[in-house]
Amino acid sequence: MDEKMRIMIVDDEMIIRESFLHWFEKYGHRVEAAASGFEALEILEKIPCDLMFVDIKMPEMDGIELLEKVKQEYPETLVVIITAYGSIDTAVKAMKLGASDYLLKPFKPDQLSLVMEKIAHQKKLESEYNYMKGRLEEITRFDNIIGQSPQMEDIFNLIPEVAQSDSSILIVGETGTGKELVAKAIHAKSRRANGPFIAINCGAIPDTLLESELFGHQKGAFTGAMHGRKGFFEVVSGGTLFLDEIGEISAKMQVDLLRVLEEKTITRLGDRQPIDVDFRLISATRQDLEKQVTEGTFREDFFYRVNVIMLTIPPLRQRKEDIPLLVHHFLDKYSRETVKHVDHVDRKAMKLLKDYDWPGNVRELENAIERAVVLSKGRTLGSDSFSFLKPSPARIEKPRSLREMEKNYIQQILDDCQWNVTKASKVLDINRVTLHKMIKRYNMQRAS
Amino acid sequence: MNLTKRRMGVVPIGNIPEIATKTIAAHIIGYLNLDSDILPPLKHPEYAHDERRLQYNAGAILKRLDLEAFPDHMKVIGVLDVDIYVPILTHVFGEAKQGGKCGLVSLYRLKKQLDGSTSPEPILLERAAKVALHEIGHLFSLLHCMDERCLMHFSGGLRELDNAPVLFCRYCSAYLRDAIRRQMKTDE
Repeated sequence: MDEKMRIMIVDDEMIIRESFLHWFEKYGHRVEAAASGFEALEILEKIPCDLMFVDIKMPEMDGIELLEKVKQEYPETLVVIITAYGSIDTAVKAMKLGASDYLLKPFKPDQLSLVMEKIAHQKKLESEYNYMKGRLEEITRFDNIIGQSPQMEDIFNLIPEVAQSDSSILIVGETGTGKELVAKAIHAKSRRANGPFIAINCGAIPDTLLESELFGHQKGAFTGAMHGRKGFFEVVSGGTLFLDEIGEISAKMQVDLLRVLEEKTITRLGDRQPIDVDFRLISATRQDLEKQVTEGTFREDFFYRVNVIMLTIPPLRQRKEDIPLLVHHFLDKYSRETVKHVDHVDRKAMKLLKDYDWPGNVRELENAIERAVVLSKGRTLGSDSFSFLKPSPARIEKPRSLREMEKNYIQQILDDCQWNVTKASKVLDINRVTLHKMIKRYNMQRAS
Repeated sequence: MNLTKRRMGVVPIGNIPEIATKTIAAHIIGYLNLDSDILPPLKHPEYAHDERRLQYNAGAILKRLDLEAFPDHMKVIGVLDVDIYVPILTHVFGEAKQGGKCGLVSLYRLKKQLDGSTSPEPILLERAAKVALHEIGHLFSLLHCMDERCLMHFSGGLRELDNAPVLFCRYCSAYLRDAIRRQMKTDE
């Protein structure tokens, strides 16, 4: 019982209240005392208590009535009923109304210790439950999918809706937009939440290995198959299978997967016995599958099978209003992880982060914040903390005038040639002296 | 500086075997490194007798001890041979208020074995010493300790009391040393 509690004693006898007070003081608990049920409720309005010892026999409001009120208004407060006149009926009634225990005055010293141990255990379980519940809520509230932009609000609204059905989902989005997080959130909100969630990156596994990974194999199915092995289709049974980069799988594998999705059975490699499987498929891609279908590189029937519901996650550059929110989220995360007190991003740095295009999307932003926090020497990240971010040439603001365009182009060539003027003039096919003049005219400087 | 204030007092209340007070005093010297005196006995605590419970109210006895003041002693432990109680509990082996001046040790229930027979004297004396040191801990504001191998761990019964070693855990030892030092400074 190392956790200190706030305990309230409710008894009309002062001597009992004092006795409890001295007893609990020895454990370091904070003790409140009330001479009546009304006084107890008044105190509870101001000071929340972890535990109450309530005498049954009190004038005006008896202990049972107080217990009922406390359990109604402060359900998290535990109540132990104490009485000098024990009867089984009142004990049963008290326990039915939610009392944690029932003690007959006077108690044996070890009896009180046991009750306190039991209460502490109950409190511990409760706090563990609350923690887990909180974690679960965090997970199902799309942890790490941060955003307040209308596009993200749409995604948040869609997730619980699509989670209810068992239809295949195709998540489309650029790399680093959080496709797997969305898939996990859908899984967590679905009736399959208690089942497994298995994610496979189809682009990272060779086709032959992917087949064995998904379907499993019998002993001796191929060279090196020393033992039979269940495939992911079997392992994921009851849960959700997430196939990332589905645009990368071969035509043969598309046919095999199509059959599994239609028949809901698989056959392990080297086996003939069909096995029933039950999973929900969520696929993801950063490619334009419709275009691949038109080009004939992706099977149309398979495309429609995996694309019953399509979710499109916008790239970060299309929802820049989410950047400050994401920055603070990752700042908080990495400050805690690295135990460095970095809690601010100055205005200039925030502008830089908002102006940047984030081709790697949220993942790139997260990596940038992590890197900046790790290397930071102060509490605030400035624009110099993000000097490693280089705006992509494609995204540089388009020049409006010919003069501006000329300046930008010369600057780019000079940068590419590390400001070797001779080399740059050769690329530009102009005289060195002319290039020097242009550098002067446009007031160009080498970036530090 | 009142040097006598660095001393602890052990006061018999009623008719107490001398060996009991001497053992407690010796344990105070040995474990707390504080000199201790056996003080002149006080009268049997008839005033604290409860007719209904046929026991003696520990709170009432402590109040009476507080009236004695004991100006030359830092803390005082009263030793008695009656069944003492606090209102919420059936009995206690000893009693002291957190940070108080006086504490109590009752030999009454310590004399009994679990089977109801009389305890051999060495066992009784060891128990009395343990309870006394525990109550002195409270007088120096120590809380009940989670460590079952520490004297400040609450022992609800004789079995737990017998199983507990005569030792404070290192945290309670450190706290106790510090509290004694602070008390001495205050008394100066």
